[in-house]
Amino acid sequence: MKPPSLDEMIGQVQKLPSMPTVAIEVLRSMAGADIDIDTLARQITQDQVITARVLRVANSPFYGLQSRVGSIHDAIVVVGLSAIRSLVLAASVMSGLPAIRCPGFSQHRFWRHVLGTAVAAQALARPLKRPPEALFLAGLLHDIGRLAMLVLYPTDFTTVLGIAAARDCRLEDAERSHFGYDHSEVGAALAQRWNFPADIVDALAWHHRPALGLPGGLAGIIHYADAIAHALDLDQDGDQPGQMPSLDQDAVSALGLDWESLNAVLAETQARFDSYEPLLG
Amino acid sequence: MNTALVQPLEQTQPGAVLAAPVTDSAGTVLLPAGLSLTAAHLESLQRRGIGMLTICPQEDPEAVARQHEKIRARVMYLFRHTADEAGSQALLHAVLAFRQASGR
Repeated sequence: MKPPSLDEMIGQVQKLPSMPTVAIEVLRSMAGADIDIDTLARQITQDQVITARVLRVANSPFYGLQSRVGSIHDAIVVVGLSAIRSLVLAASVMSGLPAIRCPGFSQHRFWRHVLGTAVAAQALARPLKRPPEALFLAGLLHDIGRLAMLVLYPTDFTTVLGIAAARDCRLEDAERSHFGYDHSEVGAALAQRWNFPADIVDALAWHHRPALGLPGGLAGIIHYADAIAHALDLDQDGDQPGQMPSLDQDAVSALGLDWESLNAVLAETQARFDSYEPLLG
Repeated sequence: MNTALVQPLEQTQPGAVLAAPVTDSAGTVLLPAGLSLTAAHLESLQRRGIGMLTICPQEDPEAVARQHEKIRARVMYLFRHTADEAGSQALLHAVLAFRQASGR
């Protein structure tokens, strides 16, 4: 059967669930300067799945707390508002979409990679003097279009996985070969439906072709963060198949990272990933 | 089982491996556990006023060499289609050094 056109795919994307209410509240709190921690904590606590995941991270050995954190309010005080907002967004995205039923596709590896890209983007924020929370969010969502394709068209995606294995090519190349477009376009459409800011939508749309993104936007940073997550094998525990994406030399040069900064980014990415790993369950 | 050593920074030599992350007074991780310290790391920690480090006991050099080779093979496998591309060079070399130093 013919695969869906991009218009058909985007039409189907509109039927996917909206972001959980708590994530929308967190995003609103990120956009506004006036934040009431008690209100935000109460809103987060209303979602038990998200609360449990966030508390698991706050109580992980990484933070080395003397006593157990039992509430979101305490977690905000101990771990910090910025980290909690990032964790809530990660937990919301992970629990917000239906489970995947596509043979040969590991949802666990997918979430590990996405979380790895998010923490790499956050680590890049410091040397590049860019907003860490927006970069974390863009990293978290960068492959969300792939998840939508998998949920909506699992049979077609099985064909994509077969093409990638047979040609030893990147999954996005196999997506383009089968569908005629890749997850970037689908992800940007989904992010628009979820009312994410324009810079996030742009990063999702162009993270594989950063030259086409907004000048000075986030696409080039997510392009590199994605590669860092692959290079550190953050998506897996063992040595399973994997391959690096091709990197756009101009986009890499524009970041202007020297050897010392790049090393610091790698160290921070690995340390942060270790601390956030309990989110994955 | 080998026990980690807590020792002063000034007694730590390049090549020593961190058994626990180094954090600043705010709890921000400066260097992760498993990292093999270089002279530059030690100087940087001194500048930041870090006094004590938790270090792994010395490992068998042959075992370290085998692990380095295994990591090199894995990294080159990941970069098998892109190792020659200009945009990949800095990341390839930095990741190889970082993964070998951290043993991951």
